[in-house]
Amino acid sequence: MTVHESHTSTQPHEHARGSAFATVVLAASAILLVLSSVGVAQAYFTTYATAKGTIQLPLDERTEINEEFDDWTKHVTITNTALAEDAASMSVFVRVKAFSGSTYPLQFEGSGWQLNEGDGYYYYNAPLAPGKVTEKLDIKITGVPADAKPDASFNVAVIYETTPVIYKPDGTPYADWTDILDAGQTGGGEA
Amino acid sequence: MMGRFSSAIGSKRVNIALFAVAVILLLVSAVGGTRAALSYYSDTYLARLSISDIGVTLLENGNKVAWRNYEGNDSWSTPKTEEADRLLQDLLPAGEQFQIGRAYPEQLQVSNTGQINQYVRVKLYKYWEDKDGNKTNVVSPDLIKLEMAKDSGWVVDEGDSTDERTVAYYSRVLESGSTTPALTSSISVDPAVTHMVTESREEGPDGTITIKYDYKGLRFCLEAEVDAIQEHNVSDAALSAWGKNLTVNNGELSLG
Repeated sequence: MTVHESHTSTQPHEHARGSAFATVVLAASAILLVLSSVGVAQAYFTTYATAKGTIQLPLDERTEINEEFDDWTKHVTITNTALAEDAASMSVFVRVKAFSGSTYPLQFEGSGWQLNEGDGYYYYNAPLAPGKVTEKLDIKITGVPADAKPDASFNVAVIYETTPVIYKPDGTPYADWTDILDAGQTGGGEA
Repeated sequence: MMGRFSSAIGSKRVNIALFAVAVILLLVSAVGGTRAALSYYSDTYLARLSISDIGVTLLENGNKVAWRNYEGNDSWSTPKTEEADRLLQDLLPAGEQFQIGRAYPEQLQVSNTGQINQYVRVKLYKYWEDKDGNKTNVVSPDLIKLEMAKDSGWVVDEGDSTDERTVAYYSRVLESGSTTPALTSSISVDPAVTHMVTESREEGPDGTITIKYDYKGLRFCLEAEVDAIQEHNVSDAALSAWGKNLTVNNGELSLG
């Protein structure tokens, strides 16, 4: 009865309330309908697996040349001073060349060293691993007068170069001498 | 006209009619909701049946390196090792250094370790990290050579692939318990990397010139991501789950 009276006396407000109610009902219906489709959209089954790994490249190298001199002969060795236990340390190939005046030609001898007549370098025939030393390359100064004094001076220069050991796909090592790592020289007046 | 309409809207009969329509709509939506709920729970129930059977495993040179298999009760079986310690671990013999230029066997395969058939794809990422483990773009990822196996049934998605990323789909359905042919055959690093890194020269007291690589500690990285998806309705499933258009004709999957 009260409602009826209110309805007759406040018709515009009642109309607005009815519309609002209908709107709410419709909105609720729409939301429910949207939600009802969610379950269907989740019905695909997938899984996955992931993995990762890294490997350090050996790109660090240091070498030094060592010389001893006696009996008119230079005894040359090259040392790869990179740390053997470091995975970053690199193996290298080594080559050596020596120069002197024509008056005193040089004579080379050493196990593991081989002359390439094309460029005059003596190549050490094995990769020099970190921590390793080459065999001696003996460079003898010939033609020295028998009466030469011990402090006589002969200008003999020794140069050496290194390059990284790189590999063919089958694992065969080789050198690319266009890529020089170290270039060292000793020389001057010896003896 | 408007007055008549307003009067009709405001009338009790019309309000009752509107209310009735609203109730009907609500009931219909409730039924829909109920259906949705039934559908949802039904899907979940089916999902539990299916998920319990879905699983995938990545193999490297025949060894299982990563997997994710459903074990029931919202539980998945996965490796105990860290993700970063799964690939390339057995590439080098103990105590041997990596040899630049050498091709090392790197055969990646995918195994269906669930009990429902599936389609699979693999994303491979190759890149460089510096000594601190940070990704670096100074050296091109193209120098990491990951050879893809030939005639293996894998199709490379050239559109999604770059120098750094390769995306490949196995074109056949991978049946439960079966394993794909190898996707890749070998991995190597181009010797040109020894030219490309920056270097500084140091002259010693004896005249020796030493070249120091500024990228000491440079690492190459390989990442593999395997995705598996149900065989049933795979086109819709792939579009929904992977955002990828795939078509299947007579069981043969193709891109686009």
